[in-house]
This record gives sequence, structure tokens and C-alpha cells, in this order.
Amino acid sequence: MTLQKNKTFSYAKYGYLFSLPFIIAYLVFHLYPIIYTAILGFTDCKGLGNTNWHILKDDLWKNFRTILNNATFKTSLKNTFVLWIMNFIPQIVLALLLTAWFTSKRNVIKGQGFFKVVFYMPNIITAASVAILFNVLFGYPKGPVNDILVSLGLRSDAYYFTNNATASRWIIAFIQFWMWYGYTMIILISGVLGINPEIYEAAEIDGANDWQTFWQITIPNLRTILTYTLITSMIGGLNMYDMSKMFNNGNPNNSTLTTSVFIYNQAFAGSYMYNRAAAASMIMFVIIAFFSVIVFYLMRDRKS
Amino acid sequence: MNKLENRNGNPVYKTIIYIVCIFLTVLSLFPFIVMVINSTRNTPQIQQHAVSLIPSNHLAQNWAVFNGKTFDPIRGFFNSLIISSGSTVCTIYFSTLTAYALVAYNWKLRNPFFTFILCVMMIPAQITSIGFYQFMYKIHMTNNFLALILPAIAAPQCVFFMRQFMLASLPLELLDSARIDGSREFNTFNRISLPIMKPAMATQGIFSFVFSWNQLFLPSILLTNNKLYTLPLMVSQLKGDIYKVEYGAVYLGLTLSVLPLFVIYFALSKYIIAGVALGGVKG
Amino acid sequence: MKKVLALALALCMVFSFCAMSASADGKATINVMSFTDEVPGMIAKYMEAHPDVAEKYDVKTTIVATTDGLYQPALDQALSAGGAEAPDIYCAEAAFVLKYAQGDAAEYAAAYEDLGIDVAAATEAADIAQYTIDIGTRPSDGKLVGLGYQATGGAFIYRRSIAQDVWGNDDPEFVAEKIGAGSGNWDKFFEAAAELKEKGYAIVSGDGDMWHAVENSSPTGWIVDGALNIDPAREAFLDLSKQLMDNGYHHDTQDWTEGWFADMQKNGGVFGFYGPAWLINYTIAPNCGSDDNSSYGDWAVCTPNIGFFWGGTWVLASKYVVGSEKADVVADIIKWITLDCDETSLQYYWANGTLNGEGGTKDTVASGTVMAMSNGEMEFLGGQNMFDVFVPANQYANGKNLTQYDETINTYWRDAVRQYTSGALSRDDALNAFKQNVADNLDVEVN
Repeated sequence: MTLQKNKTFSYAKYGYLFSLPFIIAYLVFHLYPIIYTAILGFTDCKGLGNTNWHILKDDLWKNFRTILNNATFKTSLKNTFVLWIMNFIPQIVLALLLTAWFTSKRNVIKGQGFFKVVFYMPNIITAASVAILFNVLFGYPKGPVNDILVSLGLRSDAYYFTNNATASRWIIAFIQFWMWYGYTMIILISGVLGINPEIYEAAEIDGANDWQTFWQITIPNLRTILTYTLITSMIGGLNMYDMSKMFNNGNPNNSTLTTSVFIYNQAFAGSYMYNRAAAASMIMFVIIAFFSVIVFYLMRDRKS
Repeated sequence: MNKLENRNGNPVYKTIIYIVCIFLTVLSLFPFIVMVINSTRNTPQIQQHAVSLIPSNHLAQNWAVFNGKTFDPIRGFFNSLIISSGSTVCTIYFSTLTAYALVAYNWKLRNPFFTFILCVMMIPAQITSIGFYQFMYKIHMTNNFLALILPAIAAPQCVFFMRQFMLASLPLELLDSARIDGSREFNTFNRISLPIMKPAMATQGIFSFVFSWNQLFLPSILLTNNKLYTLPLMVSQLKGDIYKVEYGAVYLGLTLSVLPLFVIYFALSKYIIAGVALGGVKG
Repeated sequence: MKKVLALALALCMVFSFCAMSASADGKATINVMSFTDEVPGMIAKYMEAHPDVAEKYDVKTTIVATTDGLYQPALDQALSAGGAEAPDIYCAEAAFVLKYAQGDAAEYAAAYEDLGIDVAAATEAADIAQYTIDIGTRPSDGKLVGLGYQATGGAFIYRRSIAQDVWGNDDPEFVAEKIGAGSGNWDKFFEAAAELKEKGYAIVSGDGDMWHAVENSSPTGWIVDGALNIDPAREAFLDLSKQLMDNGYHHDTQDWTEGWFADMQKNGGVFGFYGPAWLINYTIAPNCGSDDNSSYGDWAVCTPNIGFFWGGTWVLASKYVVGSEKADVVADIIKWITLDCDETSLQYYWANGTLNGEGGTKDTVASGTVMAMSNGEMEFLGGQNMFDVFVPANQYANGKNLTQYDETINTYWRDAVRQYTSGALSRDDALNAFKQNVADNLDVEVN
């Protein structure tokens, strides 16, 4: 017994040792820039090549206040959430549906390997190229979508998609949805494969149909993976940059402007307000962390 | 959905599934088709009708545009390959190692460390790019591929994925028997755990490689020497002329920059087809 | 597996270190930074023509595209860092040249005279268009720091056959008269638009065609004394655009989109475009259609109702060059590109389209002297000598209403105008949305 204990003790050091590369790389390449960015938010660092900046001693939170009172920031924050929800809900629904289809033992789908491979493919092209392609597709007054609508007689004249807030948002949400549902599906299928097959066999013996099996076995056992999907999608969605910037530069009337584009604009679109950009970044970080904690809390495994 | 369905399934239900899947397949392939066809069309053709399903005969002409530009697909390909494979190898290997530390050993700070990883997973990397750039600049790591490779060692999302997979697939008894055989810990990891982790490594490898390959913002501010440009950076250069964009060449460039991804993707796709089992236990 | 990984890692390291090592053959390096290959191409030609220089200097070119806003951060960083990697020669486009010549980054530029160029005499001899000098002059010390090689004064580029159909006359002087050439306002333009409309033609393709003319003819720019300034001439663009829209005088296209390009074809049904010479060569000519639908040779240029310029590239040297061993060479290259006006000068080649051999595209250049020596006849314009119109056009152009924020502010403005003309926002709301954007995104006061 003592021998066993000693052994465990001696192995513990490998836990530390093997985590070390991760920890060092994280501290150097990730944490330092985060702290640096956080500090910038409390300074007067703006303008090009400015090396002579100072902490705002008399009004430490000035940049944060400026950002929180900034109407465009508020608009962008709202847009970011709206766009994420608009793409995430259909995305998770379709991904779950496909997962249920492709993991069903009762209705085996032929060629599902092919479908799985193909559905992830939109993710291979850069978001920027996809955004530009879709901008062209929905061109006005001439563009493939309008050409089709008019020639089919669905509309008498071309529709100005990119000048309409709702249409632009739905297009962007669709692109995001279309680029990511395959990825989400692959992760979810992995989660289902990890569920103990005995549970499914027991259910089958009990005569549960696909629908019941899915809701009563798959979903509850998928909780950890769903949390993972939800959080990674939220992080990605709330940081969406390329799509908003390249599809229509946040227009029309800022209706597709995301916070990442807002932050980029603060820092690079003319005035080089690094301090305000940093403050906005930190505000976004706090918001994302807050929601992630809520998601964790709601989705936690109540048994443990 | 139907109480009467048997092992062969319900034909109506299955037909619906096939229709949806085929529709999604068309949607997925569409941009690639446009891209490839547009690389054979010239700029005015593309400007007049951006989307066409009829190839044209200007492929050679588009290729010739590259000669006049600083577009060197071979060099760009190798630069991209070094960065992407370097960072993918870092991400996969060290994430697996970290996950191994979390699964195979019982150490005091194990749970706090896992909580730490869950927390930092939430920190978006993009928002700190200003700080990252300034730092790299200070330590003279601009124009150095390592600045794009080494940070990949710490990939919290990948660690999480690997840990979940390991929980489901790595029998700890196997490690014990290896120890009895006198295998050293690092060897056990490399010889016994890594092969078992292959499917998860391949899946994450695809994600990580695609992400790294398509990265544009960081490379564009870190790499200013055009000999070091990645392939996607070179493609973005093709659009650089404000008054005269050679769209045919841009599409050809895009096609070229996606091709290597295809090769890697299809080489590893058997793991996506087979799927990897992820443990649902939170631990 | 381990071996493979180790090998891959090792390879990465080796490759990345190899890639870092610069050429060290004892030659000095001239660093050039640009957003297109245009100027690097010129410098390569210069080196070809001067083997003695090429023997002593390597040219290291860095091209960063302006797309995705990447060029400026890269250039800014390189300039502020200095050292051996700092650019010696760099380029700035009209949309952001102000920042480098007059604004935040002007301190990094070397005055041409500090490089040993006799600015006053050379600009006089070359007859450089005044607006390019105005733009390239640094206000803090009044010294010239940048010049362009192109002149981008604009004209009205129209379809002869449509003029014939509507008025029975396609002569440039007649059409110039029709649109109110030199009048400085849009009254006659709209009269002409109404006449064209009756025959089913649109006078322009979209309001963007009009915008460049409005933008560069306004007396003041977007910023005055650090505060947003909406010049009445620019504010009037709201109404001009609305007028085009409500009367159906245009096709409501956005510049650089499919619809706009298609309007350049024979069946496009659009009378004309406002633009400089490069618009003809780079944009209209390649998009003029083919076969039955080709408008090739059906075009002509005439004096516009309002003088303006659009685009152009300015060439600057960095302050690090001054006093270094490279100063003479850099000065000579810059002089060859921007000021020389003999038959071996860059601008002469550029104007006649002979830089890369005969038959290249002809363009208007900054030097009036070179333009006078050159032949601007083009088949595309039915044999018209375009320089007859563009040379005076360069004199109308005004370089004093630019600001370093123009690129960003124009984006906000154009969107606000589109919101108003499409009926999504009222005129006041559109103006307010515009002001809000400027106030929230830039370090500019808005009153």
C-alpha cells in the first residue's frame, strides 16, 4: 500500500511536467498580449508609432466610459448578438438533425461518409472570399440572385439586398450558418460515438423509436459536447470580423457592423485610437466571459 | 418517428433525408465550382457576370498575370506549408500531451488547471492582436515564422477536445501494464497513447491546419518581407491594385491556395467519415 | 510517429531560420514599399537602364495590398521602427497620401530638396500640375515631400452614338456645352439628363460616378480645425443623388459592381462616366463588351461641368535616407519618376504606353511638358487625342480639400446618401447617422 502511494506520488510530477509546454506558451504568447492590451485600455496611447504614452492617472476609466457611451459600439454589440443568434440556432438545429440521421442505427444513410466530408467543405475557403462571393451573388441592380428572381417572375424588378438591414443580416447569418454547420455536426457526431453503446441497446430492447432515443439518450449524454459547441461558437460568433467587414463593411447604416469591426476601425481606420480599441476589446472579453460562465452554469452536469 | 419502421428504415423518411443531404451538398460545392470556373475566365467576363457555370479559355492568360506580380505560388506554398504544418504539429502534439497530463496522472493542481483551460478557452485570440503584435515587434520576431508557429503550442480548445476523446478511448490499464514492462512515462505517451489518439489528432489536425492556412490578419502584419508571404497573403496582394483588379488571376490564386487544403483534407477525411468518439464525462 | 513529428518540427525550424537570413553580398539595399507592383516595376526598369547603379544596389521590394486595410499599418510600423529595414522609397495613394505627406506620418518623409533635388526649377521645367504639388507639400515646413507620376484630372467620358441619337451631334465641344462644361454646377447636366431620359438613356450609371466630381470640387474638405465639416457642395450631393434617383436618370448601380461594369457595354444604355484617363484604360476599355455588344471606338472625352481629380500615386522618400550613402540614388530614382521630362523619363514612357514596349496603355502624367510631347490619340476614343481634354482638366483639379480621413469618412458618407436616396432614412436622419459614425469612429470633433 505504501509502495502504491509512493508510486502515485512519483507519477504526479509528470502531470506538471507534461503541462509545462502549454503553460509556458500560454503565458508568453497569449497572457502577456492580453495583459498588454488590458493596460493599453487605461492609457492615452493613440496616434501612429506612439511610444510615449501614459496611464490616465486622473481618470482611469475614461476610455471604457467613452466606449460604453458610444452609440456605434452599442449598435455593433447588438448586431453581433443578433447575427450570432440568427446563425447559431439554425446551425445547431441542422447539425443535431444531421447527427441524429447519421448516427441512427435504424435508418442507415448510404453515402453518409461522403456527406460528412462535403458538409465541412465550406469551412475550407477563407471567410473573406466567401463574403465577397456572396456580396456579388446578391448584387444590385444586376447579380445572379436578382437575375434569377426576375427571370422566374418572382419579382418585377431587382431587389437591393445589400441596402436593406434585415436582408443583409440574414445573408450574413446564412453564410455563417452554412460555413459552420458541418464543423458542428462533426463535433456532435464525435460526441454521440462516445456515448456508451449499451445505453442504446437497452433503449432498443425497450422499443424506443428514433425520436425518443434522440431526446432521451443522445441529448442528455451530449451535454458536455453541446456546451463545448455552444461556447466555441459563441466565442467565434461574438468575434466575427471577416464576414461583416468583407460582405458590406458593416453597412447598410451599421446594421451588420460587429464589435470586432468596430474595434478594428477604432485602431486602424484613421485615428489610431489604440487605447479605445483596447478598452473595447476588454469590454468584449468581459461580456464573452460572463456569458460563457452562464452557459457553463446552465449546462453543468448536475449529477457530479 | 414511425412506430412501424424496421431495421431497413422508413423509405419516405429516408428519401427526405437524401433530398436534404443532396441539397446541402450542392450548396457546399457551389463556391468551389464558381472558383474553379472563374479561374478560367478573364477579368471583364467576371466583372460582367461574376457567377457562371460555363468555363472559358483564359486559364493561361490568368496564369501569365502572376509573372508580372510578386506572386510566386511555389514559394508561397512552401511558406504556408511550413507555417501551417508547424503550427498544426505544435497544436496537436502539445495539446495531446497536455490532455494526457490531465487524464493519466493524478496531481494536486489537475482540476484547477483544467478549470483554467476552460476559462482561457473563452478568451478570444483576435482581440489581443494589438498586444501580440507589439510584443513580437519588441522581441524582433516579425518576419519570423516562429512567431506564427510557437503560439500554437497553447491551444485550449484543442486540449479540451483531446481530453474528452482520451477519457473515452484511452484505457488507463494499458499505461499500467506499460509501466510494469519498464516503459518510461514519455515513451509510454509517445508509443502507446499517441497511436490510440490518431483519429482525434487527425480531426483536430484538419481544423487546425485549415485555420492556420487561411489566417490572413496576423501574417499580414507580422510578415512584411515578400519572400516570406504565405499563399493566401499573395492572393490578397493580387487584389492590391485599386484601379485594375485581375479577377481571373485572383480566382486562379484562390483555387491554387485551396488545392493543398483539399489534398490534406481528403487524405485525413477517413477519420471524419469514421468519426471519433468523445467522452461525455466532465470529470 | 515520434520520429515523423520530430523531423517535421526540425524542418520547420530550419526553414524558418533559412528564410530569415538576408542576402549578404556586400551590396547596399534600397527598400521599396508599395501597394501595387507599379512603382517597383518602374524601379526595375530604372535599374535596367542604369547597370552601374544596379551593380552597387539591391532593390528589396515589399508590396502590401491596400485591400483589407493592410498596407497602412505595415508601412506605419516600418516607418516608425526605422533601422536597416525601413523603407527608403514608399508610395501613397490619393485616398491616404495626406497622412504621409501632411498628416500623422508626415514627419517620416524626406523633403525632396533635402535629397538634393532643385524642386522649384524642376517642377517649373516639367510643368507639374499644381494639385499634385499641393498634396505633396508638408504644411509644417512648407517643403515638398511627395509627387505623383500620373495626373488624374477627370473628364466626362461619353458614348458618341448616344449623343448622336439624342442630339444629332457627338462632338466633344458640343457635348461639353450640353453638360455645362466649366460651369461649376449641375444645372445643365440635369437638363441633359432629362433629354437623355426621353430617349431611354441614363446619363450616368450610378451616383458614385457623380460623387468623385462633387468630392474633389468642393472648396473645403471633411475636416477643418480638427472638427467635421460638411461642405455645402458635398451636402448638396444628397440632393443631387436623390434627384438622379427620383427622376430615374441613372441605373442606381454602385461603382465597381457587376451592374456598373455592364453599363459600359454597347447595350448598357448609359451615356457617360466621370473619370480620369486611367478609368478609360483600366476599366471602361476592358469592359466595353464584345462582338455585337461592343462599344469600342464609340467613346469620347469632353471637359466636365466640374473640375476634379480621382486617384493617383505619390512617391515619397523616408527621412532615414537623408545624409545616407543611398541619398543620391534615391533622389535620382525619384526625380526620374516624378520630375524628369525627356524622352527617357518615366513619365514619357508612361504617357505613351511604352514602358514595357510599344502598345501599352497610354495615361495622363503629372508633367505638362511631357504631355505636350506625347500623343494621346486612341482608337478606343474614335481617334480623339485625349490629352487635349485631360491636360486642361489637370489644372481644374484641387488638391486642397483632402484630409487623411477621407477614405473612412467617404465610406460613411456614401452609405448615408444611399440610405437617404433609397428612402430608408430621411435627409436629417441620414446626416445624423453620418455625423454619429464620424464622431464614434474617429478622433474628430463633431458639432
